[in-house]
Amino acid sequence: MSMFRTLLCALVASVLLFSNAQAADKLIVASDACWPPMEYLDGQKNVMGYSTDYIKELVKETGLQMEVRNIAWDGIFAGLIAGQYDIVASSVTITPERQKQMGFTIPYYQVRQAIVVKKGAACTSLADLKGKKVGGQIGTTGIFVVQAAKCDAIIREYEDVGLAMEDLSNGRIDAVVCDGPVAGYYANKKEGFANKFQVAFKTGETEDYGFAVQKGRTDIIEKLNKGILSLRAKGVEKALIAKWMGE
Amino acid sequence: MVPERVAKAEKKDWAFINAWSLSLFGAIAALFTLCTLWPEPYLDVLSFLPDGLFVTFEVTVLSISCAVPLGLLTGLGRISKNRAINLLASTYVEIIRGIPLLVQIFYIYYALAKFLQVSGLTSAVIAISFCYGAYMGEVFRAGIMAISKGQSEAARSLGFNRFQTMFYVILPQAWRTILPPVGNECIAMLKDTSLVSVMAMPDLMQRGRSFAAKTYLYFETYTIIALIYLIITLLLSKGVSFMETRLNYYDKRK
Repeated sequence: MSMFRTLLCALVASVLLFSNAQAADKLIVASDACWPPMEYLDGQKNVMGYSTDYIKELVKETGLQMEVRNIAWDGIFAGLIAGQYDIVASSVTITPERQKQMGFTIPYYQVRQAIVVKKGAACTSLADLKGKKVGGQIGTTGIFVVQAAKCDAIIREYEDVGLAMEDLSNGRIDAVVCDGPVAGYYANKKEGFANKFQVAFKTGETEDYGFAVQKGRTDIIEKLNKGILSLRAKGVEKALIAKWMGE
Repeated sequence: MVPERVAKAEKKDWAFINAWSLSLFGAIAALFTLCTLWPEPYLDVLSFLPDGLFVTFEVTVLSISCAVPLGLLTGLGRISKNRAINLLASTYVEIIRGIPLLVQIFYIYYALAKFLQVSGLTSAVIAISFCYGAYMGEVFRAGIMAISKGQSEAARSLGFNRFQTMFYVILPQAWRTILPPVGNECIAMLKDTSLVSVMAMPDLMQRGRSFAAKTYLYFETYTIIALIYLIITLLLSKGVSFMETRLNYYDKRK
């Protein structure tokens, strides 16, 4: 019995120690690593990309300890709201609906939505998508833009944008909607797709990326905002843009 | 049949209170209460889902109508004395049973797209009915083997051929043992259709996910989704148990 009690105490103590150590040390950053070149996996399963580099620079700049983890997009905000991690750095567009649920930093990048089609397909505006099958990643602003345009497109929502691109390449859908840099990456750089796709057009309205945190965590937001401003002033941001979005 | 010490519900004696009716009316009451008291999120979720429900039904009905014949064929193949047929059926069961349904769906939809492109609905029906056909094959085999050998010997001595023996003598009796587990598989199948959302099929689950992804109302959305799945599986299970009572004419004779 006493043996059992000792074991139990040890177990409880170690659990407490472990969870404390984790919570106190580092801020956990969630990124859905399937959104190249903003955040994606390299060959060694490390998360890399523009957002990831930005976070690394912010660590140097602000002294906040942060660790990036790969978290699936569908439900990434639910996890943040539930407190499973502290920051979402996953090309999150700041929208009024999202601001009701979460806190955001100042913008760290600006994009427009882009439509990717097979090379040679005629498509120049959202109206041309009428009756076409348009794929995208579930819960992304690209899907919302096509829905809001009411252009009678058949919208198909995929787990991640890579699967939508795969289906575009297979001819099961006619177009994919996603953020401009991602569209450019698939149309120009991604092996196997680059010669098959083209960016048909970009929508007019710009969207701002922000880092999302739990509502009320103004302490984190203030530090990050300060960091973003000084990275911008030092020209680090510009260098990162040149590195990842160059050409 | 029922041992004496097992509590049996008497006809007059609150027989309508059982696990099934409690769950069903509980679920319906919960759904109704949520939608009337807080129409703002809950009724919005509900009105977003009907086309998803239709896709779920479509996939389920098509898969059941393919899986049951496939299961019967597999079961017959597994007890066949012809070595080639037996080997074919057994290999099919071993392979399919060893691969998760989600992997099969990805394989048929995304991997095989390199050679052959099938629509989301077709891939879903193929993957699900192949998977459940293998499970059901084992159920059919067990059910058929449970019928005593005397039955087929008697039928053969009366001049029935092997085919007639199976279809007029063995199978009608085996149905009684086969039906409950097959019904169970059908219910499991209905629930597993939620996996097709990975192929961007707009089924009930996918509709819920896209609603939640847009509104961030995760609790409200998945509460409604869970209640709807519960209600339809409960109705399906009642259908199965109704068929069971219809088939249990031997027990009723006392």
